[in-house]
This record gives sequence, structure tokens and C-alpha cells, in this order.
Amino acid sequence: MNADELLSGSAAAIAAAVRGGDISAMAIVQASLVRICKTDKRVNAFTDVTAQRALQAAAALDARLAVGDTTVQDLPLLGVPFAVKNLFDVAGLTTLAGSKIERGKPAATADAPLVVRLQAAGGVLVGALNMDEYAYGFTTENTHEGPTHNPHDLTRIAGGSSGGSAAAVAAGQVPITLGSDTNGSIRVPSSLCGTFGLKPTYGRLPRNGSYPFVASLDHLGPFGRSAMDLALTYDAMQGFDAHDPGCVARPFEGTVDTLELGTSGLRIATLGGYFHDNADAHARDAVMRVAKALDANRVVQLPEVARARAAAFIISNSEGGSLHLPDLRTRAADFEPLSRDRFLAGALLPAAWIHQAQRMRRWFALRAAELFRDVDVLLAPATPCVAPTIGSEWIDIDGKRLPSRASMGLLAQPISCIGLPVCAVPVWGCHPSLPIGVQVIAAPWREDLVLRVAHRLQEVGIASSPVAALPT
Amino acid sequence: MTPAQIEAYVDATAALLELPLAAEHRPGVLHYFSLAAGLAHLIEAHPLDITDDPAESFVPIEPSQAPHGSHA
Repeated sequence: MNADELLSGSAAAIAAAVRGGDISAMAIVQASLVRICKTDKRVNAFTDVTAQRALQAAAALDARLAVGDTTVQDLPLLGVPFAVKNLFDVAGLTTLAGSKIERGKPAATADAPLVVRLQAAGGVLVGALNMDEYAYGFTTENTHEGPTHNPHDLTRIAGGSSGGSAAAVAAGQVPITLGSDTNGSIRVPSSLCGTFGLKPTYGRLPRNGSYPFVASLDHLGPFGRSAMDLALTYDAMQGFDAHDPGCVARPFEGTVDTLELGTSGLRIATLGGYFHDNADAHARDAVMRVAKALDANRVVQLPEVARARAAAFIISNSEGGSLHLPDLRTRAADFEPLSRDRFLAGALLPAAWIHQAQRMRRWFALRAAELFRDVDVLLAPATPCVAPTIGSEWIDIDGKRLPSRASMGLLAQPISCIGLPVCAVPVWGCHPSLPIGVQVIAAPWREDLVLRVAHRLQEVGIASSPVAALPT
Repeated sequence: MTPAQIEAYVDATAALLELPLAAEHRPGVLHYFSLAAGLAHLIEAHPLDITDDPAESFVPIEPSQAPHGSHA
């Protein structure tokens, strides 16, 4: 395969080709940079392309291979181009978090720990990606940078807030990216752009070196075109870091080696009630197809899901508003118009509401823990519908007219509220031309299970993540 | 909360926090505050026991975990 063909495939195949001497890291990275150059005027996934740095890193990897450095040959992401949401620190770039306000601030002096870990695994950073300002949105209709377009239909949103991260993968610009997920910001764009996305357990991956939104709920995680690529990337990023007070000291719990174990013996059920009622026919069909492929006939309920979603909303609104209070006081007009008034309102919420929301959150987490005594994996739609067109104000779900931008996270929020690991898997064929995602959910710290199920769904042809046909 | 109560609360709290609300932003702020109030009401309507602790927890920091440099 040539570099362009490899770039459209998996990170695992790229690393194998570089390892085997079939292609150089330089050729792959150059192919990625060319693809970005040819497609990004239409997709608008990237806000910065770090070409010089990427070419130097690729040359360094090739030089190590040329002298027979055996340590480099074992790297799981050898020569794999990757990009990160622009809330990750990248040395030499200002960390924008999608904002105008951060422009002109000093550049980061060091890479975020997760960027460091991916590079240590052989990955090559090629740039930073578009997002909703300060991660407060589900559409990546960023007024300062322009909207990110869905590669599978350029008139539609990519989802958000990690819209650039999903679009870059779907557009074939890079095979893996990193994003963040507070209320659905990995799972929503994964669903709308047809990529795999992993939101690990809350506290699993360190967040230091990334611009925060809601410390109580923020997660970081990878996007890719296969469950194997997610597993390779996620395993390379595991490890405690005391600089993130939310990071939990867990041992390394690898997922790559268990990926092929299949789903036999797993107790898998579909979440009904709220997750059925807030999904349209395409989203319900996607879950039914996944459940059928997994021979999962049970439907189970979580109680008080709407209240859990309300708790996530209140906590996010308050913490986000409070975090930005100094800038809201002095330069509110420079905030993203689509989220500014929400930030302002959030800064004013009474303490009693927030405290009660945190109590509701723990109550709901206990109910989920009870359910997981009897079930290993839960299925639910990732979004209520496929990608709306850019600028949509309303969506129609089961006869209900809902505000488009806020409602794209309705089904993701209750799950991240209690920090469960989720893999969003892309399903095609429910809509005539667009993908829609299904959340594969497990008990805390069981990322291995959600990736196993996602891998199985890919093996049986239910889930797939093709590169969009973007004529160059 | 009634719309009048929300207006009164938002204006008073914004003044207390020295957070100016521009005329063009205020209707949106009232809209989103009303939305949050509705969701807060939904949560408050759910009975919780005195033993239902909040999800937040604080982890004490050992001297070895203190960052270099002093803020004292």
C-alpha cells in the first residue's frame, strides 16, 4: 500500500508498515499534511498545523529505525500522525480552547502529558483542532474559527465540542485524535461523524496540560476508525499523574490484549425508558441493530435519568460560569455568542442548587452500580438523531420540538455525569447517507469491556468508520 | 421561581458579583437562568436522605505532592 492508502486505514496498519520497513514515517506524515492541505478548507477541522515539528519528529523516528534502534520498532503508534483538540497544551502554541479571549496569551511551554505519552509511543503530532469555545457546546459552530463541517455531508455539523477531532478522523486527515468529553463531547461528534470514540472512566487519564471546563466532569479520550486503534491509543496514555487532582491512582489495565476475547459470556442489555424516548427512529434502529448482533435481548432501566441529566447541566453551568467569571466581568462581548449567555447565567446559580445536583449525581451513580451487579454492558443511542444542518435551531424527536444545540447531548450527559466508560460505535444504514453512534457502556474501570464489544461489532460488520469521500 | 423572581434574583446577584449584564445579553441570561431553575426544581423534587452525600470529595495533599514554588 502507498502512503495515501495507509493514511485512510488504521493506525495499527500504519505502525506495522513503518515497523516492517514498507514505508517511512516521513512518507506517512507528509501524506497526512498533504491531505490536510487539500481538504481542510472545506472541513475546517484544524486551527493549527504543526508541519515543521511533525516533519522533524518523523525524520527522527526514521533515523532511529535506520540505525537499527530496536526500542523504536516496538512502539505501538510508530509513525502514526495524530492531532489534538486545541484545549491540549502544545509547546509553542497558545492553548486557545476555541476562544478569542485566549488569543495573544503566551504559548504553552510544554506539551500536555497525554501528548507526551502518544509521542513516546511513536505518534507524530501534526496539529490542533477546532472546538466549541471553552468546550461549552455540542456543534463546533465556532464563531471565531468558523464551523467544522461534517466530512460525510459538508452542510451538516460535525458535533461537538470535539468536532475537529471527529472530523479530522472522518476526513482521513489523521487516523487518531484526542478530544475531551464533559457532557458528551467525544460521543456526540463520534456519532455524527461516524468515528469510534472512547470516553474512559472519570479519573482514568490525567487532564493536566489541558484547558479545563468543568473539573467535576471533564474527561479526555481518543477518536479513531477502529476499536483496535482506540485501544492502542488509550493504553499508551494510561498512567497516574498527581498534577491532576481528579486522576485516580490505578494500575495499568491494558485493553489491547483482551480485545479479541469476544462477547460470549457478557451480560449485555439495552437501556430503555429515557434513552428510548429521547431518540428518533434512526437512533433507535442503530441500537436495535447492535443489540441484535450481540444477541442482547434484555431491556433494563436506570431510574431518574432526566434528573441525572439535570444534575450534569447544573454542575456544568455553574462550574463553567464560575471559572470564566473574571473574563465575563470585563469582556463578555468577546465570548462566543452561542454560549456567552449560558456562561453568564451559570455564574449566578445559587449554591444550594449545585450542592443538590452533586448529591443527585451520587444517588444516580449508586443506582447504576446496583444495575451493574446484574449486567456487564449497557447499550444506548449516542445522539437523539443524525447530524443536523449547520445553523439548525431545532430538532424533532419523537414528535417533540427540541432546541438543537443543547439537545444533541441529551443521551450522553446522564452517563458522563457518573463517569462510566463508554465507547461510541458508528452504525451505518439506519439513515440513507449518514452515520449514527451507539454508546457501549460498562461499569467504572471496565474500558476493556466497551472496547471488546466495539471490536466485536466491527468484526461482524455492524460498526464501521469509513473515510468520507472528499474529492481532492 | 416566577419570571419576576428570576429577574430580581439575576439582577441582584449580578450586582453582588460585580458582573455587568449588557442590555443585549440580559434576555439570554434570563432565558438560560430560567432553564437552570427548571432543572434545579426537577432535582429538588426528588427526595434525598440526609445520608445521600454529594459526589464531590476532597483528597488531602501530602507534602510530597505539593508543587514546587510557594504561593504563601
